[in-house]
Amino acid sequence: MSNKLIDLVNISKSYDNELILDDLNLYIRENEFLTLLGPSGCGKTTTLRLIGGFESPDQGKIIFDGQDITKLPPHKRTLNTVFQKYALFTHMTIAENIAFGLKIKKKSKAYIDDKIKYALKLVNLDGYENRMADQLSGGQQQRIAIARAIVNEPKVLLLDEPLGALDLKLRQDMQYELIRLKNELGITFIYVTHDQEEALTMSDTIVVMNQGYIQQIGTPENIYNEPENAFVADFIGDSNIIDGVMIEDKVVEILGTKFACVDEGFGNNTPVDVVIRPEDVELVSPQEGIIEGVVSHLIFKGVHYEMEVQAHGYEWLVQSTKLVPVGTKVGIKVDPFNIQIMNKPASEDEEAVMLDE
Amino acid sequence: MAKYLKKIYIGLIILFLYLPIGVLIVSSFNNTKVLGKWGGFTLDWYKNLFENEAILNSLKNTLLIAVLAATISTVLGVLGCVAISKMKRSTKSVINGVTNIPMLNAEIVTGLAFMLLFIGIGMKLTFNTLLIAHITFCLPYVVLSVMPKIEQSDRSMYEAARDLGATPLQAFFKITLPEIMPGVLSGFVMAFTMSIDDFVITYFTRGSGIDTLSTKIYTEVKKGIKPEMYALSTLLFVTVFILMILANRAPSEKREKKPMSRKKRIFTFAASGVVAVLIIIAFIFSMKDNSPTSNKELYVYNWGEYIDPEVIKMFEEETGYKVYYEEFETNEDMYTIVDRGARIYDVICPSDYMIAKMIENGLLAEINYENIPNISYIGEEYMELSKGFDPENKYSVPYCYGTVGIMYNTTMVDDVVDSWDILFDEKYAGNILMQASVRDAFCVALSELGYSINSLNEDEIKEATELLIKQKPLVQAYVVDQVRDKMIDNRAAIGVIYSGEAEYMREENPDLEYVVPKEGTNFWVDSWVIPSNAENKEAAEEWINFMCRPEIALLNFEYILYASPNTGVKELIEDEELLNSQALYPSDEVLARCEVYEYLGEDGDAMYDKYWTEVGAASSELADEEEEDTGMGRMFVILNIVGIVLVLVLLIVWNIREGIKERKRK
Repeated sequence: MSNKLIDLVNISKSYDNELILDDLNLYIRENEFLTLLGPSGCGKTTTLRLIGGFESPDQGKIIFDGQDITKLPPHKRTLNTVFQKYALFTHMTIAENIAFGLKIKKKSKAYIDDKIKYALKLVNLDGYENRMADQLSGGQQQRIAIARAIVNEPKVLLLDEPLGALDLKLRQDMQYELIRLKNELGITFIYVTHDQEEALTMSDTIVVMNQGYIQQIGTPENIYNEPENAFVADFIGDSNIIDGVMIEDKVVEILGTKFACVDEGFGNNTPVDVVIRPEDVELVSPQEGIIEGVVSHLIFKGVHYEMEVQAHGYEWLVQSTKLVPVGTKVGIKVDPFNIQIMNKPASEDEEAVMLDE
Repeated sequence: MAKYLKKIYIGLIILFLYLPIGVLIVSSFNNTKVLGKWGGFTLDWYKNLFENEAILNSLKNTLLIAVLAATISTVLGVLGCVAISKMKRSTKSVINGVTNIPMLNAEIVTGLAFMLLFIGIGMKLTFNTLLIAHITFCLPYVVLSVMPKIEQSDRSMYEAARDLGATPLQAFFKITLPEIMPGVLSGFVMAFTMSIDDFVITYFTRGSGIDTLSTKIYTEVKKGIKPEMYALSTLLFVTVFILMILANRAPSEKREKKPMSRKKRIFTFAASGVVAVLIIIAFIFSMKDNSPTSNKELYVYNWGEYIDPEVIKMFEEETGYKVYYEEFETNEDMYTIVDRGARIYDVICPSDYMIAKMIENGLLAEINYENIPNISYIGEEYMELSKGFDPENKYSVPYCYGTVGIMYNTTMVDDVVDSWDILFDEKYAGNILMQASVRDAFCVALSELGYSINSLNEDEIKEATELLIKQKPLVQAYVVDQVRDKMIDNRAAIGVIYSGEAEYMREENPDLEYVVPKEGTNFWVDSWVIPSNAENKEAAEEWINFMCRPEIALLNFEYILYASPNTGVKELIEDEELLNSQALYPSDEVLARCEVYEYLGEDGDAMYDKYWTEVGAASSELADEEEEDTGMGRMFVILNIVGIVLVLVLLIVWNIREGIKERKRK
């Protein structure tokens, strides 16, 4: 991949003595679609606002394109933000909204008119020039907010939960729209969301954050398939997270039964967390399974059935396209490759710090 | 049914709120000076109003102050709100509370506090102090209407502007300000209205020579309400009413959403335009006013309606002085102001006994009579009489004089009226009007008994008190200005009045006749004096000299119809009837029976007050003052009572209904 465009170095930030970000290090490459993902209060929005220039860090530096911009006010940064609540100027028309940044930069009228046309076309809202902002639907307003940002030709577009206020169908449409936009514009997107599906769909890179610490950085596949800790596993998709003991390399004991796995280097007889994705649990006949259980719940989810299986005192979450009726005795089997082993943290805080180091 | 009741209820509330104002508005078009009578439609009062320079001047002051105060407080308020909105929550609530307190504070406390502050730090009360006070009390209203708008407005809008390349200032003016504009406008209008409306704070903080409409109306009302004031009050009400509607409209449009936006923008634009024009006009005005054309200024403090306005103009033209002319209502009011040094005047026109008090307290400067050659026109006898309060003729120059006497209606009184006795005649029970002031009431009783009207003998005063108490059942009312209106309207047969009113009343009702009782009465003089703290003493002397010029004195005489001590005037008067009027020019024989009010000293004042209270408490006759009133008055009272009963009944019915509903639900 290409060069580092933005580099956050040892960033710390606190509000009212409450630590929001603690010694955070993160870089963003040119042309990347990077998503900051995490529950509310994890520091993702603060990180975005630091990059946008709306907050300044207590410690650390922000390097943009090789220059230190830590102290640069927002209007001097060559990046633009799309705000969660659109923040359209309600006393202006759509065209005036889009032209705002260009007028401030004293561009010629012809140039501005061109840009407005181009931007509206880009977000599929040609002909909306003279409407007022509050006459548009939420989805349309969001597109205008994006148009207003991109006419300034920023190197980076910051998006702060831009789809949060939209309904599900619209949100999915907009996800494709954003990917298309990014490809057409060829610029860097930094996207903040708490919606893991959004993150997985659009991102090149996902940064999972919790309590001011980065939990894991990786591609969507990487994050999903190989969560580095229970938090990530739990946050991204559904998971069975079970206490286990690493007997030796490639052998883990779960619920009193030994399972083959592919992980090594945890030492002998070490307590660990074992993560198994529900779609990786295979239901077979009792004889074929490694452990035995009974189906206790069944829900139809559309693309698959979701079942709960009581086995050895644990309620296994299972997703399968094959229906197994409630009460059926089944065997549970897991491919060694699909068993993910993680060290057990002593506490939640330690869990957070550990991976950051 | 319930809906119907609700409507009636609301209708009644509105009726009670607006009925008085309705009466006021109707009165302003009423072609008679008499209260409670319809004399046909007229616009004369409005016409007179706009020909009255003093009122127009106060109107100009009012608007100027209102525009300046509203503008400055709006600017300060908006800046303050922006700052407050960025504070921590805890600080914010404290600041919000602090800004609200002045609004809840009693105005009189605020006004007094301001006056004390200004005087305390050695600031002379001027236009500027008034403006400062107005800005201060307007500020909370601006904050009140701007703050919610700022809190409401999306902070990310400001950030979006910054993000798009706007500097903090650009973002504020292009985004934040337009967003909160409805709040700013309504804040401006509120401040403007409050400033126009204010009386109490203005009263305490205005400088000499600066009257606003509210203080002007107050002055005029004290003198007896003139229909011009109804017209002025009507205009004031309508203006404030329209402004309030505008203020309430602005924010409500926001709530409606929908495609109102275009209209809203036009409205905002138009309103801003109007405001801008007003501000520019105000500043031009204030520039013109504040740039001292010359140092030649003169501050005059006189009774209301006590000079021909033309005379002031003539003086200005002739001498080049800028005259700041102001009016007081009673000697006591004037004394308080001058004594405290709150406002500084160069020349004042108090009455006899008050001059004595001022001399005693060292408030007056000796007049250099060399600068007043025209004093030769003042009759020797008046200078002699003046010695009653200015023993050495060092401090005062007589301006007007008169007597306290009896006005009677020749069609209602058959007896010969030449004595105070008539006021104690049971034949006229219920038809007698007395003056509701201590000195005048005791003047009647003491003269009747043959004692001095300046008596300090407690036994004599006691006797007079008893006489007044005995007389009370006969008296229709103790009043001040209504003596005039009631006598003109034939609603009383006999009344105690000042001779100065006599000519005016006789013009309105030729059946009236004025006499000075043979027992003697009060002879009063109002004279020009110069306070010891006057800043333009020479100008004051020039003014007094001007007033003594016969032609000028004549103009004043013809305007106010009070007797002039100026010998030149008598020669110039052409109207025989006026010259022979006993009211205007009592004979020497009559004068010999008269006394001026002397300053009684603090103990004397206290004694009179004590016995006056006894008279007041003696019976309930005073409360029946309004008994003899017009049908209109009675109608209002009945309507009020009916209304209150209706409201009460409605409320009770309502409560019972709600109670029943509640029980049913259970």
